[in-house]
Amino acid sequence: MTSSIFMHPATIFIIGALLLPLAKLLRIQKVWLVLIPLIAFMQIHYLPESFGRVEWLGFDLQFGRVDQLTTVFLHVFTLMALIGTIFGLHIKDSGQHIAAWLYVAGSLGTTLAGDYLTVFIFWELMAVASVFLVWYRKTRKSIDAGYRYILVHTFGGLILLGGIFLHYQNGGDLTFVSFAPDSATLAQYIIMVGFMLNAAVPPIHAWLPDAYPEATVTGAVFMCAFTTKTAVYVLARGFSGFQALAILGAIMTLYGVFYAVIENDARRILAYHIVSQVGYMVCAVGIGTEMAINGACAHAYAHILYKALLFMGVGSVLEMTGRSKLSELGGLYKYMPISMIFTVIGGIAISGFPLTSGFISKSMIISAAGADNQTFIMTMLLLAAVGTFLSVGIKLPYYIWFGPNDSGLKPKEAHWNMQVAMFMAAFMCIFLGVYPDYLYNMLPYAVNYHPYTSFHLSETFQLLGFTGLGFYLMVKYLKPHDVSNLDLDWFYRRGAGWFMWFARKPVNATNEWISNVYKTIGLRLTMALARALSWFDWEGIDWALDGSARGVVEGGEQVRQFQTGKLQHYIGAAVVLIFIVLIVVVLL
Amino acid sequence: MIVNFLTYLRERPGLLKWSLMAYLAFAVGFDFFAERHHAHFWGDEIIGFFAVFGVVGCLGMIVFCKGLSHVWLERDKDHYDK
Repeated sequence: MTSSIFMHPATIFIIGALLLPLAKLLRIQKVWLVLIPLIAFMQIHYLPESFGRVEWLGFDLQFGRVDQLTTVFLHVFTLMALIGTIFGLHIKDSGQHIAAWLYVAGSLGTTLAGDYLTVFIFWELMAVASVFLVWYRKTRKSIDAGYRYILVHTFGGLILLGGIFLHYQNGGDLTFVSFAPDSATLAQYIIMVGFMLNAAVPPIHAWLPDAYPEATVTGAVFMCAFTTKTAVYVLARGFSGFQALAILGAIMTLYGVFYAVIENDARRILAYHIVSQVGYMVCAVGIGTEMAINGACAHAYAHILYKALLFMGVGSVLEMTGRSKLSELGGLYKYMPISMIFTVIGGIAISGFPLTSGFISKSMIISAAGADNQTFIMTMLLLAAVGTFLSVGIKLPYYIWFGPNDSGLKPKEAHWNMQVAMFMAAFMCIFLGVYPDYLYNMLPYAVNYHPYTSFHLSETFQLLGFTGLGFYLMVKYLKPHDVSNLDLDWFYRRGAGWFMWFARKPVNATNEWISNVYKTIGLRLTMALARALSWFDWEGIDWALDGSARGVVEGGEQVRQFQTGKLQHYIGAAVVLIFIVLIVVVLL
Repeated sequence: MIVNFLTYLRERPGLLKWSLMAYLAFAVGFDFFAERHHAHFWGDEIIGFFAVFGVVGCLGMIVFCKGLSHVWLERDKDHYDK
């Protein structure tokens, strides 16, 4: 179904963002905020397969390429933009909405891009727009974290650009197509590393749990959805079947939950858990079978909704209480029951309870790993599922809404628009679990997978139930403490400190010392040398040239003495000179 | 309404404990009747395997992660500002 009247979805958001101040002036900001994502969401089904081809400096750029793989991502990205914007509807500051929409535009532009240069352009738009979602929190910590975030992403963008240039230099076509794992070149691996940075694959993941918890309440809801899932899309598009991704993805799933188990800040728990969940998708992309790619897409779709729901729930608590640390919360179920219900729905969906979206998406990836005989990887994914329920399914809601001790806080329930957004996401979590074919029909390949088998149900009942038992037994030991845990950002945070120290102390000291040496010795030496040279010039060289310079000086002095300044002397001298000339001419 | 219900449950930890036990018994019991024709590896064939996997995995993870945090990863909040 295509139509001749359509607009690139990224353009809709960019124009929407640029006209937002005008809408505010006309007092229709809230209407505009709902209208623009709604238009974008409605019209993604009417996009032609190929559009926006431009030739620029000899490069063929393609801004629109639509197929089964893009459709599922476009669908969830635009839906999420709608939910996220509704969640932040109470924010009057247009700047935050503009940053969020430009960020969404970057993500949609990357998804639709048909060549690597276009990918890069929108890739950078995402990085630049999203850092403002961190900075708008306007705390010292968020400003610092934002700078680290943008520096890491600039570095990643340069890696990507370097890979693209190298690929082009090797005579590669810049069309954004899939690479074959067997014949992959260095340039292609460099591009993959650039993509992996945005997918937060360890060891280049630390920007995510560093920046997301410092973002604004709404900003974090947007950020958790777009950057990593756009990276999953580009990896699925370009690098399916690369075994390295399967292994790294499986490591990611465990790495993320391990930190989620020990962290104290609710939004940092969720941020680490993004690493874990994206690990499932990266792993599926690495496995690369049809079922695995379907699983990656389905999980991306489901994950965006329930992770955003969790960020909204925790964000509501932060908005209403100003706190997000588990050690400072507890007993809120009496005051924010609606937020609690929605967050718990997010928690059970992410844990993969039957009748929720996690059950029908995560299991697809685990089955794909099993079907591909990657038993070890499959076991890692199952263990990560245990950790997911432990950290996000039980620990997070328990310490915020119930907990061993009451925080004494009596907050009001979240704003109405926040509740509406949470309802939309919660509805989708359950709707997909009850009616999986809605999602399965959008996937790139035909689905031959049935989630509701008695074996899968039995496996899930046991895994979740006995994880609950583990929590019950160890709940005292699991109590979160108000500390921060080291991660690999240590290298650049400490490294930057050392660099600054090195610049301030040894480099600066050496610089001072050298200029002192110069002042005391160098300057005098130079002056003495200059004097010696001047003497040599006067006495040595002039003497060698028959004293000509001295002769000129002395001659000049004598000429000057002739010039007495009296007119009769000059006239007399002129007459004498003429006579001498005449005598010489006549006589010779 | 839900608030009252949750308060009612919170005041009765014994009830919660026995509900959990009953559920666990149900989960293991259900496994006797599950059809296993899509087994991916040996664990899928054993009845109650995922019960053991769940509880051992969960306890192991808590001990490992919390232990690692205590002995190595844990720092003051302003660690990087010093």
